[in-house]
Amino acid sequence: MYSYIKPTKKTPLTKDVFLIVTFFSISFFMLFSTYGFLLYKDYKFKKDIASFKQQQQELANNITNMKESIKIIEEDANFAQKIYTTNGVLKDSIDNLFDLVPDHITLSKAQILKNGLILYGITPNKEVYEYMLEAPLKSIFTKNYTSFFQLDNGWLQFVSTNYLDKNDEEYVDEN
Amino acid sequence: MKINFPRHTVYTISFTIFLIIFAVWFAVGVLIPKGKDYRKNRTILLKEKADLQKYDDFYKKTLSIYNKKKSKNRYIIEALQDKFDPQRFVKEYQKHFIALSLSKVQYSGKTDIYDIYEVNTTSKIKSPTNFYNFLDAINKSQWLIEITFPINFTREGELIYSSFKMHVYKKSKDTNKTITKKEETPPS
Repeated sequence: MYSYIKPTKKTPLTKDVFLIVTFFSISFFMLFSTYGFLLYKDYKFKKDIASFKQQQQELANNITNMKESIKIIEEDANFAQKIYTTNGVLKDSIDNLFDLVPDHITLSKAQILKNGLILYGITPNKEVYEYMLEAPLKSIFTKNYTSFFQLDNGWLQFVSTNYLDKNDEEYVDEN
Repeated sequence: MKINFPRHTVYTISFTIFLIIFAVWFAVGVLIPKGKDYRKNRTILLKEKADLQKYDDFYKKTLSIYNKKKSKNRYIIEALQDKFDPQRFVKEYQKHFIALSLSKVQYSGKTDIYDIYEVNTTSKIKSPTNFYNFLDAINKSQWLIEITFPINFTREGELIYSSFKMHVYKKSKDTNKTITKKEETPPS
């Protein structure tokens, strides 16, 4: 049997197959692209989270160190302030001491102790000492001792020991 | 009735069904869980970012406090680190006295943080005012100095002879190291 129609060439890539392949190629491209995007983002997120955590840790360490330094500075400042106050109080004590001594009485020596005061000097008589120096000393100090020695010129030499503390032994030691 | 599909069509349909099944499996089994992970990680990231911002704000606030404290107490910090120089002291405070002399500076113990150096001081002054001025000046000194009791004043003719002890405070070496190390950490 002979056919006058020329046989068409058969190919596996028919129009239908071509359409299906094109459709699925586009679909898979989109699916794989999405997957790739998600993989990249997953990696990026994990990296960023690790970086943030590290930065947080560094900041936390720095904050702890700074707090420690602030504490040390505050301690130093308080300590220095305490010393400045002590020096200020000392200045006031000396100021008060010299204001306390009247013109009639002459001091030859003064010892300013932590809780006391020892004065050596001369007074024209006992009354002047008692009214003009001992009275104010008694108002300041809790205990007062005074010894007098007669001088050749008629004046009296005195040693006045005054203290705030109950225990006066330390003043004896200081002398 | 028997339907005869061409072989080619059978292959094509089979291939298409396989691709559809694969696509559905990939979307449901792989992409959706990955997408869920993505959303979860994004939430974590945003939370960590917010936390970092909080840390950063607190760090800046603490740094500001630290710098203020450091600047305000600069003289005290330096005073506690400077080595006491008796000659420099005499040169600086000589003006308040007729005569001023210091004996050897000696280590006299320590508190928890500070080393204490003791200096015996003798001086001659014209009037107590000189001594007040000295006490005022000592509080502005480049060293941290405490005048200690007892203080003795003795009249010598027109002058007043005074003798007293001074304590010079200095930061202990081990504490100094700690501070230096810590001060390096915060960026300026």
